[in-house]
Amino acid sequence: MPGGMDLKGDVLNNSICALCGACLDWCPYIKNLEDHLVLRFDCNVEHGRCYSVCPRTFTDWQMISEHYLPDTPKNLEIGPYINVYQVKANREVDGKQDGGTVTTLLKTALEAEFVEKVLLTSSDDHVVPQAILTADVNEVEKAAGSRFLSSPGLRKVIDAQLSGLEKMAVVGRPCQVQALRKLDYNNRPENHKVDVLSIGLFCMWSLKWDFKDYLETQFPNEEILRLAIPPNGFEVVTDQQVGNLPFEKVKEYISSGCHYCLDMTSELADISVGALETTPGWNTVIIRSQKGQELFDKAVELNYLVKKGYPEAELDRLKQASLVKKARAIKVMEEAFANGMKPFVDLAQPDYVQVMKLTEGVVK
Amino acid sequence: MEWMITANEPNKTYLMQGNEAIARGAIEAGVSFAAAYPGSPSSEILTMLGNVSEEAGLYAEWSTNESCSLGACLGASFAKVRSLCIMKQNGLLVVGDVLHSASLSGVKGGLVLVVGDDPSAHSSTNEFDSRHQARSAALPMLEPATMQEAKDMVKWGFDLSEQLQQLVMVRSVTRISHGRSNVKLGEIPEESIKPTPIGEWDRMVAINWFKAAQLNKLDQAREIFENSPFNWYVGPVDAELLIITCGTGWFYSQEAVEALDLKESVGILKLGCTWPLPEKLITKHLEKAKRVLVVEEVDPFLEQNIAQIIAYNPHLNLELLGRQGQGIISRSGELNPDIVRNALINITNKLPVEIEKVEIPADEMVVLPARDLTFCAGCPHRASFFILKQTLRIHEGQGVVMGDIGCYTMGGQRAGHYLYNYLGCMGAGISAGEGLGQLERFGFDQPVIALAGDSTFFHSCIPALINAKYHDSNMLFVILDNSATAMTGFQPHPGIGLTAMGKTTEPISIKNIVESIGCHVTVANPFEIEETTETVYSLLKKPGLKVLILEQECATLAVRKSEKRKVWVDPDLCRGDDCGCGRFCSRVWGCPGNIWDDETGKAVIDEVVCVGCGVCATLCPAGAIKVEGGEAIG
Amino acid sequence: MVKELSKDPLNIVICGVGGQGNILATELLGSAFVDKGYFTTVGETYGASQRGGSVMSHVRISVNTEYGVLIPQGEADIIIGFEPIEILRVAREFANKKTWVIFDSRPNYPLGVLIGEAVYPKIEDIVNELERLCAHVQIIEATDLAVKAGNSQAANILLMGALTAVPYVPLEVEEYDKVLVQRFKGNALELNRKVFKIGYDLVKK
Repeated sequence: MPGGMDLKGDVLNNSICALCGACLDWCPYIKNLEDHLVLRFDCNVEHGRCYSVCPRTFTDWQMISEHYLPDTPKNLEIGPYINVYQVKANREVDGKQDGGTVTTLLKTALEAEFVEKVLLTSSDDHVVPQAILTADVNEVEKAAGSRFLSSPGLRKVIDAQLSGLEKMAVVGRPCQVQALRKLDYNNRPENHKVDVLSIGLFCMWSLKWDFKDYLETQFPNEEILRLAIPPNGFEVVTDQQVGNLPFEKVKEYISSGCHYCLDMTSELADISVGALETTPGWNTVIIRSQKGQELFDKAVELNYLVKKGYPEAELDRLKQASLVKKARAIKVMEEAFANGMKPFVDLAQPDYVQVMKLTEGVVK
Repeated sequence: MEWMITANEPNKTYLMQGNEAIARGAIEAGVSFAAAYPGSPSSEILTMLGNVSEEAGLYAEWSTNESCSLGACLGASFAKVRSLCIMKQNGLLVVGDVLHSASLSGVKGGLVLVVGDDPSAHSSTNEFDSRHQARSAALPMLEPATMQEAKDMVKWGFDLSEQLQQLVMVRSVTRISHGRSNVKLGEIPEESIKPTPIGEWDRMVAINWFKAAQLNKLDQAREIFENSPFNWYVGPVDAELLIITCGTGWFYSQEAVEALDLKESVGILKLGCTWPLPEKLITKHLEKAKRVLVVEEVDPFLEQNIAQIIAYNPHLNLELLGRQGQGIISRSGELNPDIVRNALINITNKLPVEIEKVEIPADEMVVLPARDLTFCAGCPHRASFFILKQTLRIHEGQGVVMGDIGCYTMGGQRAGHYLYNYLGCMGAGISAGEGLGQLERFGFDQPVIALAGDSTFFHSCIPALINAKYHDSNMLFVILDNSATAMTGFQPHPGIGLTAMGKTTEPISIKNIVESIGCHVTVANPFEIEETTETVYSLLKKPGLKVLILEQECATLAVRKSEKRKVWVDPDLCRGDDCGCGRFCSRVWGCPGNIWDDETGKAVIDEVVCVGCGVCATLCPAGAIKVEGGEAIG
Repeated sequence: MVKELSKDPLNIVICGVGGQGNILATELLGSAFVDKGYFTTVGETYGASQRGGSVMSHVRISVNTEYGVLIPQGEADIIIGFEPIEILRVAREFANKKTWVIFDSRPNYPLGVLIGEAVYPKIEDIVNELERLCAHVQIIEATDLAVKAGNSQAANILLMGALTAVPYVPLEVEEYDKVLVQRFKGNALELNRKVFKIGYDLVKK
């Protein structure tokens, strides 16, 4: 397995880093401020953990999926799943994004002692994300709400590992769920292993930190209370107004690494959660593993979550959206690989060939 | 040793450093006023004069820069007291305007300017030959060849200066200033010279009207030099090969002649008065010689001026050899006995008696690692450069770094992760940075960082900072404030609150100066690596002129003041070569205190070297480095 | 009358790394020689090299005349070293088949070694090469002994003790002691006297 300088050459210099954070804090060479993640000094380690856990170094994702979700029925568009539900939290949570489902699942996981701690992203100012590792339900509730700036939350995995934690739940973007699986798969035998229950988020992209400066120019001297993407644009709720930003403008701030992402629904997670666009206030939940099912059932049993069957038409729409994201990423990769970037996915793999076939004419 | 320079023991012989001898010479001349800016190899002179100031009844100051020091001495000279000004060769260039003006105005009380040149630039960025400035400014100049002469010339220089009413230059070099040998003491005057009131019509004015007077003084000096005991000749009356030398070249030449057994055929004319040249004396010896080898430090100064004598005297028919003539001595670099001996072997084909020396074939020789200069253990500059390097990488904007002169010049080398893109003279970093920072309007979008130390800030950065502020240059100016002029040996500067004479005085705050110019200042501690990195990062993102003071006392000074804390590596926590850190503490941090034990394969602290700053403890990913009493830094 | 030297001039090189106290040791040595009436010259290479670089002092004494501050190549009679690779570097340039070499074998790692770009040679290899170059090679663990005696900084004076015991150095213990008394007081003086004696005895044996 290659090392830090290879990570620099193959990932960082190509601007395909997903900023998942899996490589951070273990290593004295890799360092970030905001969304700049670099090798601060040249590294001489030939076989680096960084390279082995990175979601942007070469990975056979089908093999990883088979390894972690062997009994789950496969699905080309949204990954393996057992069940899909419409879900809503039964309790108002301050700052909630749509259904408050993630907060509720974490609360359940802690209260029902599925895990000892949870790792999630919080924010003091509703904009700048910070990772927290906590056993405190109040803290979890305070952290509710979506973050749009990319943040390397997985840096905290080392804290869990060094403190000898047995079980934790991690909320992550698809790239982070990928990294969690690689972290587990490639964990060196001498390092303590934490049993992770992963709650994956639906994600189209995350934004560069320059977006923060843009927000400031658009809403000078206003306190941002909430950012959201309802079906009709990018909503900014401040202490003074509910504003909107043109979606095309916001898209200019998409992190470069996100263009290479094949995963919209966190296909490797135990349980995935996303918005349900047609029914405001409700979430989509995809159960992918037995562990995920148990947590979900517990939350329903505790009456924290209300569930409904998932409309067929909505599922088709979700699958199509996911498929389009995959196809776009494949196009981007094809071009990049042709231009000399070292391939980090085998695009000849039948699933990807199939994606391109199904989207022919849809994705330019 | 200070006691030697004030010892009232005429004719007693001590082992004296050249710089001590110079200080002693000034005291024997009754000097009342001394001013200098530190710089190797001349720094020790004023340090010692400061230390004995009370006993010797003199005033000594570390001036803010060389121009201030020479100006101050001119002021003292106006009141007819004797003053000594000291600087290194680079300083002489800083002082060029003052020097050329002084030469026109002349002096009243004796004024001797000692310049310490640094052939081979051991502690300098260049090996500028000061003698050009003496010629350019039409000033008489003396060059000592021994420590005894260093003392005697300085003493006599005051008499000469008063006789000519002109400033006299004494050019020392590293081997004289930092060498030691037997020096016989002279008498110390009992009474010090008191200032003379300056009358209504007294003048000391530098305007071109006085050019003729200036040149007359030079002619007078030449006449005096013709008979000076500082010039002498040894060798046969009719030597066919004549060596003309000065300074260190005297001993090297003498030893070479002896080693090659050439005493019967080679003569040595040793000159102590090297500007203006005693032309009659030189011509007299040239007339007898067929070949002349000129042996001198740095440039072919004597050689070219002798060539001029030859050109004006058509009857002289001889071959001139030296640094220029046939390149018999290299065009750059310091002399040594072997260079001079080899030049003589080259010319005479005479070989020395062989020494029994074993030549080991190259492939059997042990491979010796080079010894780079590096920051001392615990040096705050190591932390500052670590921070700047990593911040520039994190910022990803290809920041350009303009360096400057001090210990932190090593920031341009391995010790500072090769950080500098630019290095000039003192104060050049901020000036060049100001220019680069103006190019944003043409699309130049790389951040610009200029650095300067605290002493350099006072010396030459203030006008440049005003310039940068007034024109709002897009630049980050970082002042590395270690509360010391560390490179040259911890002389106090205006920020310290102490004078050369050991008196306390109100320190001048760099922060206040910067703020008074209208700049916003951020102060941070370089030992707080991560916090300060965030500070630098956020400053880099701001437009316009930013000033950051990185404050942490020089470790060499700090450790003198307090007991050092113990720092150690817990072998149970250090994962050694299995860690994956790639020996971060020793390999990247690079402090001489962080060494690697090849036997255990783990990190260790060299307790002899470590000063206990504890910064490495904050960098170890395994938390294996422990600091006595926790991890408080600084 | 000054005692004749078995070799005139007697050339001594003292070398090490900045901060090891070479310069002070050299200055004391030179003063002791001047007090005895010898023409003594000391050349020192430091300056920027005080920042962890190599430091070397040349001491030359003569009954007859003053010499220049630098020793010609191959003409050192004694080389005293504070650091193994520095002693070899200097011996290659200044030693001859008659030279005595005494040094502290405690390494001071150059930056290139710390960062892994260069390898510090084995002490036995250094000794082997020195033995081929010189007449007499002796290791004295000056720093370790000085630490045991009370302070690592006193290693310089310990090596001066060793030097004084070398047969053709025209200096007696009492003569160096006079200089010590001149420069030190109290505990520092006692420590320096103690380590001087330790160094002296190690060679005299």
